[in-house]
Amino acid sequence: MARSVDLLQGTLDLLVLKTLSWGPAHGYAIARWIEQLTGEVLRIGEGSLYPALHRLEERSLVASDWQRSSTNRRAKVYRLTPAGRTQLRAESGEWSDFVAAVAKVLRAAEAPSS
Amino acid sequence: MTESKERWFRALTLVRRSAARDVDDELRFHVESRVADLVASGVDPATARARAEAEFGDQRTIREQTVRIDERIRRRRRLGDWLNEIWRDVVVGLRSLRRTPGVAISALLCSALGIGATGAITSAAYAILVRALPYADADHLVAVYSENPGRAYHRVNVSWPDYETWRDGTRAFSALGMWTWTTLTFSGEGGEAERIEGAEMTPNLVTILGVAPELGHGFVPTDTMPGAPPVALISHGLWQRRYGGDSTIVGRRVEIGSQMTTIVGVMPPRFNFPDRGDAWIPFKPRPGAEAHGNRGYAGAIGRLRPNVTIDQARSDMYRIDAAMVRDFPNENEGWRSEILPLRDDLVGDLKRPVQIFLAAVMMVLLIVCANVANLLLARGAARSGEIAVRTALGASRQRLARQLMTESFALAIVAGAFGVMIAWWGVRLLRYAFPGQTPPSYISLTVDGASLAFIAGITLLTGVLFGILPAVRGTRVDLGTVLRGVGRGSDGHQSRVRGSLVVLEIALTVVLTVGAMLLLRSYKNFEGTALGFDEQGILSARIALAKPDYPTSAQRIEFYDRLLARLRALPGVTFAASAQGIPFSGWNLQAWARIEGMPPRKRGEELDAHYQYVSSDYFKAIGVGLVRGRWLTPQDRDSLHPPVLVNEQMVKVGFGGADPIGKHVLIGGDRDPVATVVGVVRDFRHYRLPEPMGPAVYYAYAAYPTLGQTIVLRTGSRDPHALIPELRRVVRELDPRVALSEVQTFDEVVGRSRWRQRLHGAVLSIFAVLSLVLACIGLYGVLSYAVTQRTRELGVRIALGANTGDVVRLVLRQSGALVVGGVAVGLIGALFASRLLETLLYGVGPADLLTFTTVPLGLAAVALLASAIPARRAAEVDPIAAIRAE
Repeated sequence: MARSVDLLQGTLDLLVLKTLSWGPAHGYAIARWIEQLTGEVLRIGEGSLYPALHRLEERSLVASDWQRSSTNRRAKVYRLTPAGRTQLRAESGEWSDFVAAVAKVLRAAEAPSS
Repeated sequence: MTESKERWFRALTLVRRSAARDVDDELRFHVESRVADLVASGVDPATARARAEAEFGDQRTIREQTVRIDERIRRRRRLGDWLNEIWRDVVVGLRSLRRTPGVAISALLCSALGIGATGAITSAAYAILVRALPYADADHLVAVYSENPGRAYHRVNVSWPDYETWRDGTRAFSALGMWTWTTLTFSGEGGEAERIEGAEMTPNLVTILGVAPELGHGFVPTDTMPGAPPVALISHGLWQRRYGGDSTIVGRRVEIGSQMTTIVGVMPPRFNFPDRGDAWIPFKPRPGAEAHGNRGYAGAIGRLRPNVTIDQARSDMYRIDAAMVRDFPNENEGWRSEILPLRDDLVGDLKRPVQIFLAAVMMVLLIVCANVANLLLARGAARSGEIAVRTALGASRQRLARQLMTESFALAIVAGAFGVMIAWWGVRLLRYAFPGQTPPSYISLTVDGASLAFIAGITLLTGVLFGILPAVRGTRVDLGTVLRGVGRGSDGHQSRVRGSLVVLEIALTVVLTVGAMLLLRSYKNFEGTALGFDEQGILSARIALAKPDYPTSAQRIEFYDRLLARLRALPGVTFAASAQGIPFSGWNLQAWARIEGMPPRKRGEELDAHYQYVSSDYFKAIGVGLVRGRWLTPQDRDSLHPPVLVNEQMVKVGFGGADPIGKHVLIGGDRDPVATVVGVVRDFRHYRLPEPMGPAVYYAYAAYPTLGQTIVLRTGSRDPHALIPELRRVVRELDPRVALSEVQTFDEVVGRSRWRQRLHGAVLSIFAVLSLVLACIGLYGVLSYAVTQRTRELGVRIALGANTGDVVRLVLRQSGALVVGGVAVGLIGALFASRLLETLLYGVGPADLLTFTTVPLGLAAVALLASAIPARRAAEVDPIAAIRAE
């Protein structure tokens, strides 16, 4: 079994937004997609996805409505709002900057002279 | 649990349940899907379920968190919906108001004026009557005066020994301070010599007022000791203006009254005392003025101990007064202390006018509400078709009423916004009503948070007042009648309601107009009162010599002689003279007068006479004639047997009408010299109106050369203002350290004394005109609406042969009934209301016949004029068109 990494709240939001940028999905589908794409490295405590989704809905970054699923069950389907798309763009940029900055530190050969 | 509470509870649980159910559905869907996937990949169902639930995590916590978020979302949406609905009502309301722009604009204008006027007056009333005085814990501050109830003397200044006795004996005050007016000459550093209004105060007074200097410190008790080095406090304004805000001013020695004086502190901005004073020095009792009977100092201010009431303080002080009467019967018999809250002392005489303005403006507001209600009712009647249709389509009466109320509120709120502007402007206007166009420092006339809150309150109140009638009446629609097109919404009850509103408006207008006219007549009487002197073409200016510079009488006489001689030589000057105090200046020195050959008066009924020292030309300069005898001359210098002039009042009261020439009079105490009357001058108004004239005695200046005099210059042809630069130049050439103050023309002095009467008359007249216009609009509205409603009837009448006169009479009869009713009710109201004005009236009674006849007649005439246009329209109805239109 792969090692799992605890996700920061903000990171989970970012992943959810990214996932929804491909199209509307219900909670279960989002969980599966994240699991597959991260090769199960980032294994989310699946339940914690829901407070995150509802909070995003509260912030109007995602919207939802109830639909019939392929198995003909009532499923709540989420989609990205324009505000959510903007937020995704901004946060992806910040995330890349952050990763690059951390990587730079890790690559550094010696302590900076001050 | 009450019913409403229960409803709330049910609503809350409903939200909770449905939010929870959705979350449960969603979470169950997740777990079931996972189980299904696992089973599909070959895991046995029991293991699959266990695994799915393990992967999911703590279901309960997650469920709770999520439900909480959902409830938040739902609550917010409901609030949003509610706001949306109101907004829709507002938009619909504004749109429908826009369809009748005439009604909308007149309603808006009326209510904005009403709200603005009310806002301005209440702001002022709040500032004057309610807002705390700018002193620490001002509720505990009281003013202390002397009074002699037996002789009807009130708010008399106090004497130094009385003050000391009170101060040392009282248990009611934590401190008692004393002050008196003074004017200080600042010279040397900081520019030209100038006269600064201020006060002498006992060192504890700064502490009593509880205002700490912003720089330096206050006085110390030793400052009043004889021989103590002179010190002064100055105001923030004076510090900024004269010394450029230099922070090293404290400790600096500047020249005040020709004495090098150390500035020990600067008071914070907006501290002025009394009224507008800018500089203060320690109080020093005058030598030789230390008798109990010498009530010449301004007044005392005390701070009550905590939990001591004014009544307790009074009885405490009366105890001391009784002891003083025992110890000094000659000087204190009949006298006692008079204590009143400091606010009453400062603004007490504004209380009545302010209350009257408040009452008047409330009437205006009521008229406004009646008027707008009338306009909206008329509009509502015109809209009865629309409302009937909406009712037929299923709109509930509540829903329609809410719609109509929302419209009124929208209207009121827009009007309120304009009203704030009008109030702001009105308050600025009120500042100009004060003399010198500046209210005293303890009245801060502003539209502040409190006033804004009040205006908001008035706005909502007006919204309710003028919305409620249309909402109740307008939604009571008889579907059948309206939709069939009969009656067109004109039911008798409604026109009765609207008629009574007009009657109310006219009645209130009568009350306001009667009040305004009474006050205007008082003002006219003030202006019309013969003053006895000629105030045109006179310039006056006060001069005070510094004692160190002019220690001897000869030096003072020489200064004033040279000054007056030079001024007399100026082109255009016909007389140059001086007096201690000119008319209307507030100068008021009185003393007992005893007259040779007249029986001595009983104690308590002594004759008090005004006296002062004047130069020989003074009466000629101010245009007061000689009745008999001779004028004073520059040669009248004998101070042991001084010659004096008396006025006609003195002859009448003091000499019993007998010829006074050559008689002896004694003014003051036994040590004062006996004077001989050499002439009688005509009476003139020395005291401000409405104070009566009194007996007076005039000495020659040369016999008693005082330091301070008021210069009076009469010009024949020139504008007296043009003399100011020359006057300043002459004084500067004689002695550059001498400063001029109160440089003003006589008619300015006289005009300023009438400011209260002018203010009362002006404010009420504005309200009266406003209400008259409003009432006419209301009357016009009701009548034109009635004519529109009766078009068919009128058409039929004309077709049947009624002529123009008949039709016009028909309309006028309707308006006449309203006008007569309104005027009658108004007159009764005015009879009561004018009693409240009584104290503000001068030379006119509260039931003045002229006022009570012209006002109703004038108003009736104006009101009938307002009905002329509808009447004309009625006469021009085309019978054929009118009948066919139905």
